[in-house]
Amino acid sequence: MKNRLKVLRAERDWSQAELADRLGVSRQTVNSIETGKYDPSLELAFRIAALFSQRIEEIFTPGPG
Amino acid sequence: MIEQRHADGPSNLAIAIPLATWLVLYFAIRFYLESDAVIDGSVRLALAFLPTPLFALFLWKFIQGLRSADELERRIQLEALAVAFPLGLLLLATLALVQRAVPLDPENWSYGHVWQIFAMLYLLGLVLARRRYA
Repeated sequence: MKNRLKVLRAERDWSQAELADRLGVSRQTVNSIETGKYDPSLELAFRIAALFSQRIEEIFTPGPG
Repeated sequence: MIEQRHADGPSNLAIAIPLATWLVLYFAIRFYLESDAVIDGSVRLALAFLPTPLFALFLWKFIQGLRSADELERRIQLEALAVAFPLGLLLLATLALVQRAVPLDPENWSYGHVWQIFAMLYLLGLVLARRRYA
């Protein structure tokens, strides 16, 4: 799954650690999602979407990361 | 051991202390039972079970840690066990065949050796899973 997490984070000038804190996950999780090595659970995807005030499908799209 | 946990879970130290205590007690009792000490059979049996509650405590803390872990950490732990468990079964099954094929020296191949290989298989699985998501 492809995602725009890195772009959205960069737009807000947040570090991976800062984003991880806001989401309540580890920095490793944020890094793995950004690099496409890990697809988040639906619950976490909803939290990410809510944090960036976007719909899930605006952040995550099907296809190889 | 378990990384990336939420604050409500036990610390790594709280998980490691019962495990370390179990290991020390296990090897102390093993050393004693292997020595020439003359003690009653029922006492020997009681000594063999003495470390078990410590391992149960470790297991309880470990599961608490897993439940409070970040979702990626839970995935990593699951993949580590998914590697270790079948390999452990394979080891036991193969040993059972080898034991019937040739005589195995209990000094080299016994329950006392095999459980340590299980621990190493878990660590191998952990390394592989962490590398995958690094």
